[in-house]
Amino acid sequence: MKKIISLTVNGKVVEVAVEPGRTLLELIRDDLNLPGTKLGCGLGDCGSCTVLMDGIPTFSCLTLAIQAEGCRIETVESLSQDGHLSKLQEKFIEKGAIQCGFCTPGMLMTSTELLRRNPGPDEHEIREAISGNLCRCTGYQKIVEAVQGHSEEGEK
Amino acid sequence: MALPKFDVLCPDSLDEACDMLESHASEGIKILAGGTDLLVNIKLPVIAPRAYVLESSTSQLVSTHSEELWKDHSGPLAPPSPAYLLSLHRLRNELERIEELPDGSLLVGALTTARTLQMSELVRLKWAALAEGADALGSPLVRARGTLGGNICNARPAADLFVPSVALGAKLGVVSIHGYEVIDASEFALAPGKTRLQSGQILVEIVYPASPPGTGSAYYKLAQRKALDISVVGAGVRLTIDSLLKITSVSLALGAVGPTPIVAKTVIDVLLGKKLDDSTLKLAATAAASDATPIDDHRGSALYRKQMIEVLTRKILTTAYLRARRSL
Amino acid sequence: MSDYRILNTRAPRVDAWDKVTGKAQYTDDLKRPGMLYGAILHSPIGHGKILNIDTSRAENLPGVKAVITWKDVGTQPYGVSPARYDETIFCFDKVRYVGDEIAAVAAIDPDIAREAVNLIRVDFEPLPLVLDPLHAMDEGQSQLHEMYDHNICAKVNWNFGDIEEGRSEAAILRTDSLSSKMQDGAFMEPQSILAEVDGADNLTMWSSTQAPHYIQRTIAMALNHPLHKVRVIKPAVGGGFGPKASCSTAELAICMLALKTRRPVKFTFDREQVFLHGRARHQFHHTMTTGIHRDGTLAFLEHKCILDGGAYASFGIATVYYAGSLLGGPYRLKNMKYDGYRVVTNKPACGAQRGHGAVIARALFEVQLDRLAEELGMDPVELRLKNVMEAGETTCNELFVSSFGMKEALEAVRDSAAWKRKRGELGQTRANGTGIGAACGFFVSGAGYPIYRSKTYHATVVIKLEEVGGGVTVFSGAADIGQGSDTVLAMITAEELGVELNDIRVESGDSSRSVDLGAYSSRTTLMAGHACREAAQDVKRQILQAVATRLEIPPESLEIKAGKVISLTGEIDFSEIRREFLQEHKGFMDTPEGPELTFREASRIAFLELGSVVGTGKYKPPPLGGSFKGATVGTSPAFGCSAQIAEVKVDLETGEVSVERITGAHDCGFAINRTQVEGQMQGSMMMGMGEALMEQKIFDSEGRILNRNLAEYKIPTSLDMPHLESIIVESNEPNGPYGAKEVGEGAIMPVIPSILNAIYDATGVRIDELPVTPERIVEALQKKKLENEL
Ligand SMILES: Cc1cc2nc3c(=O)[nH]c(=O)nc-3n(C[C@H](O)[C@H](O)[C@H](O)COP(=O)(O)OP(=O)(O)OC[C@H]3O[C@@H](n4cnc5c(N)ncnc54)[C@H](O)[C@@H]3O)c2cc1C
Ligand code: FES
Ligand code: FES
Repeated sequence: MKKIISLTVNGKVVEVAVEPGRTLLELIRDDLNLPGTKLGCGLGDCGSCTVLMDGIPTFSCLTLAIQAEGCRIETVESLSQDGHLSKLQEKFIEKGAIQCGFCTPGMLMTSTELLRRNPGPDEHEIREAISGNLCRCTGYQKIVEAVQGHSEEGEK
Repeated sequence: MALPKFDVLCPDSLDEACDMLESHASEGIKILAGGTDLLVNIKLPVIAPRAYVLESSTSQLVSTHSEELWKDHSGPLAPPSPAYLLSLHRLRNELERIEELPDGSLLVGALTTARTLQMSELVRLKWAALAEGADALGSPLVRARGTLGGNICNARPAADLFVPSVALGAKLGVVSIHGYEVIDASEFALAPGKTRLQSGQILVEIVYPASPPGTGSAYYKLAQRKALDISVVGAGVRLTIDSLLKITSVSLALGAVGPTPIVAKTVIDVLLGKKLDDSTLKLAATAAASDATPIDDHRGSALYRKQMIEVLTRKILTTAYLRARRSL
Repeated sequence: MSDYRILNTRAPRVDAWDKVTGKAQYTDDLKRPGMLYGAILHSPIGHGKILNIDTSRAENLPGVKAVITWKDVGTQPYGVSPARYDETIFCFDKVRYVGDEIAAVAAIDPDIAREAVNLIRVDFEPLPLVLDPLHAMDEGQSQLHEMYDHNICAKVNWNFGDIEEGRSEAAILRTDSLSSKMQDGAFMEPQSILAEVDGADNLTMWSSTQAPHYIQRTIAMALNHPLHKVRVIKPAVGGGFGPKASCSTAELAICMLALKTRRPVKFTFDREQVFLHGRARHQFHHTMTTGIHRDGTLAFLEHKCILDGGAYASFGIATVYYAGSLLGGPYRLKNMKYDGYRVVTNKPACGAQRGHGAVIARALFEVQLDRLAEELGMDPVELRLKNVMEAGETTCNELFVSSFGMKEALEAVRDSAAWKRKRGELGQTRANGTGIGAACGFFVSGAGYPIYRSKTYHATVVIKLEEVGGGVTVFSGAADIGQGSDTVLAMITAEELGVELNDIRVESGDSSRSVDLGAYSSRTTLMAGHACREAAQDVKRQILQAVATRLEIPPESLEIKAGKVISLTGEIDFSEIRREFLQEHKGFMDTPEGPELTFREASRIAFLELGSVVGTGKYKPPPLGGSFKGATVGTSPAFGCSAQIAEVKVDLETGEVSVERITGAHDCGFAINRTQVEGQMQGSMMMGMGEALMEQKIFDSEGRILNRNLAEYKIPTSLDMPHLESIIVESNEPNGPYGAKEVGEGAIMPVIPSILNAIYDATGVRIDELPVTPERIVEALQKKKLENEL
């Protein structure tokens, strides 16, 4: 039996009917048509599916949509406004923090939260914060540099 | 990976939760906290769990057909997935909290996440083993969802919050329609995944005894990578010393070296009334190893685990002792 | 720096904007109207005869549109190497590993498809399992394939120079061995496939693949569908590293389901299926005897290797050759003998993975060099420097190195990592928990020959100007799987045409755009790069010709710079062209101004003069290599080389290893994009470090992978990775475009041995089995302690 829940996704209140077993990731990708959030493992191991739930980085593959009722969800699609990239997105591009890009949405969400909480993180704090987001392409070096570069210059 | 079919119940109060647990008990109902353990366990694998086929591969004929195998082979089968999940997410106001009680003990609500534990300065200052357990658990993403209650109730021998909780002498507050009950953390687990919790019971709070001056605790997790790993061995300790720096009480718990978190009882005799010098440390380490019954598995051999208990015991005792001295 | 405007810079990736905004489309993000969902039935047992397949219950499940088995698709063998076509789309007589594919379903919903698969009943007669590669060749072992006597899928017996002479001359020789476990690519995007058929039987498949060209051919062959009616498109791909280079059963089955249902069908692997499918790194068992002269120069290498290839050949023939051939460099080595055996076992097939075939061989050889240096009392870096080849030399197995910055790379890491200071006393291991280690590597820059015997071009590129003027589109079959080849093609085109990067659009990874053999053997920059440069020059020639014709001047007097056509011989009057352009664009607000002719006007003129302007380029390596059997594998138009220094800390009680810093230098010939070269080096360091310390597929006694998820198949997290220092060496490769050659795979070569050598320095013990887990270190330390006490 579907359940009706309401939640805020990228600033908009949405009301949806979901199967009890539907994950937040399926809701976001398939029902709300926001495919920027990725499915890499479905088991909480890789972080490709990271969204912010009430401001906290959350793996949406291991969270039921129902558990997110009443919550504020932010996905990668929310980071740029009217085609303007956030400072962190720009740094990711500038520093070469992207290769295949599959981990990128999750990495961006996790680091966005870190920078909100701690605007000037050191290298270890950055590595610690993104340690649940696996990246197979970059060796993390340029991702760390992008987040660092962001904090060095501060938000515009 | 797909989830099986189930219905989710979302109680608005603890009483409602207890009622729901009771009324659906016969159909199969599971409590859902963060879900970081439960949802992983019930997601359907592509290749059937070991029991489906392997039990039968000695016979002449095997089949992909799971029903046949369920029927033919009486080996330990994967439990059928529950018909209901009882999600506690609406009870966060009630069950997510960290509070120092008037008697100096610490009350932590069952829905408190590892992330919240990590960020609590109070916990880090006085119940360091618990904070260090939280640091060691999974990754930031797991810590954001995984709860203390879930970590204790899943009763994994390696559970990174459960093991320090045992060392810290935690008491578990459990409710059901029949009322409130307190269970010692050290007696809670029966086997991997099995606890003393009766059907219908919910773990609501965990109480850690006060941490008076002269008390120190520590937890150390040995794993292969620095995040996202299950411990090969985990060890937690809490000890209290007197003004002469002699140990007046000690409790040491070990993870991943037996079917449940283990209390190293022999260590107590070795340490009580002693100062922590090199020879005492050595004796304590040997004693701790003798208390454990590790097995060989793909994460580590029994022998290595035994040896590492000794190493970890020395590490955590040294750290906890130092902390105890600092707090005098 | 260089004279280039765009090349050799840190230009941002052309797909970066899409990727940071979540707009980049990967296969699983695609949806088609009326789309069905696929599911696959895998064998739950490792080896068995199929007695019966009953699909009736699956077929009757509401919502199921098709169920297919071998009865529907036939048993046409296929595979990677034409000489070893040992796979069929579905198993029909036997299953050979846990995960072998038996049937597939298409249904209106993914859950129904999955449920249907579970309703298919297959009965098996189990056969004895072959799991141990070291015994797979033994008499009396169960046979996996009739075509592989004694389960030997391929063997190589090579003898270069005279190793007996080498042996007799050597002052010191030693024998060591090193073994590894099967590994996984662990790319973040699980494979995904979407196939669709139109009314004219045109089959289009979008797939997360590294090699659209080979996949296109395999689909046409295995499904007996006209080759020209198969189109393979590679959307954004979330990493490949090798395993996505071969055609999978899933790709074939989903195409078949689309043909059968005449509806689009999509299927995305579960992470578990990524592990079941495999096609990643082989398991290697190397033994080497290396001899050395008193002065530190190499005398000979005798090398034996057994490779566990899993159930099918896949890329494995190339693997067993690479494992031997790539030890020909980067050192002068006159005498080399190699005996390689690739055996089949009841495990997922192994194939190519970054550093194809050569990684563990390299690791052991570099460990041996350190051990020999220790015996000689020589600094291991000095010993290497004494032996490194230089440009213009040929290896004993007839590989010609046309550029070679090996010495520069080694010196660069030595100096940058302060090797001499940190290493301390020569040849003394500290065994105090702190260690430093060095190693080198050598790799092809594109395979010299295609996988099937053919005179095909390896890469062609078509560049077309927008008829309206201003825009340029690059059409290529090259597969950007994250390594950044689209950006390389765009940069080359922009450089050649003298325009800005954002005027270039790249349409690539599509078998209908041009021929490109795919993203493997580190070939794209060199090969597609050559073709792209030629195509761009062709376009440029046509533009300048058209403008010159208009102006009645020689085309040689014109050049395009920074988006403007300029005259090399003095002022030229462009006003006639400008007037014509303005006339065509009444009402437009962005009309060109200024004294120079813009690229936009020039390319418009070219259209008006010539019609659509299309430039083409092509590349094929010259005939390469010797004439001995298997001489083609290992040949390349160019060779990359690299050096690395790893610094580690080891907890001598628990055996925990912490890699503190890796300094790497790689000779990529010429860095088309400096950021991307570093990115490839850093990604290689991570993969190598994972392989050295934690990555392994663990099998139970029934041939099941116990750790088929990313929690227990451990790749390094951000906390495990240290700071990575990457130094670019540019040796100007004569056979590469602008002097460029590879970096994608070569950079992984020195990682494992530099870590192994550092661990030895830190602990005083050598571990001969990978991964080097804490437990193995403790075990070795204790063994050594016992030995010392005796
Ligand atoms: C990627 C990953 C890594 C992990 N790494 C670690 C690790 O390093 N260390 C570690 O210890 N664990 C680890 N875990 C396991 C898990 O995250 C933790 O054990 C977590 O604390 C479980 O909490 P939860 O709230 O998510 O539990 P849930 O999954 O919601 O529940 C777990 C079990 O407890 C029961 N339960 C939950 N709450 C209650 C309650 N209040 N009363 C009664 N029963 C209850 C549930 O019914 C279920 O059986 C990992 C998990 C993942 C996915
Ligand atoms: S997809 Fe959610 S953590 Fe991997
Ligand atoms: S960029 Fe490919 S996984 Fe991170």
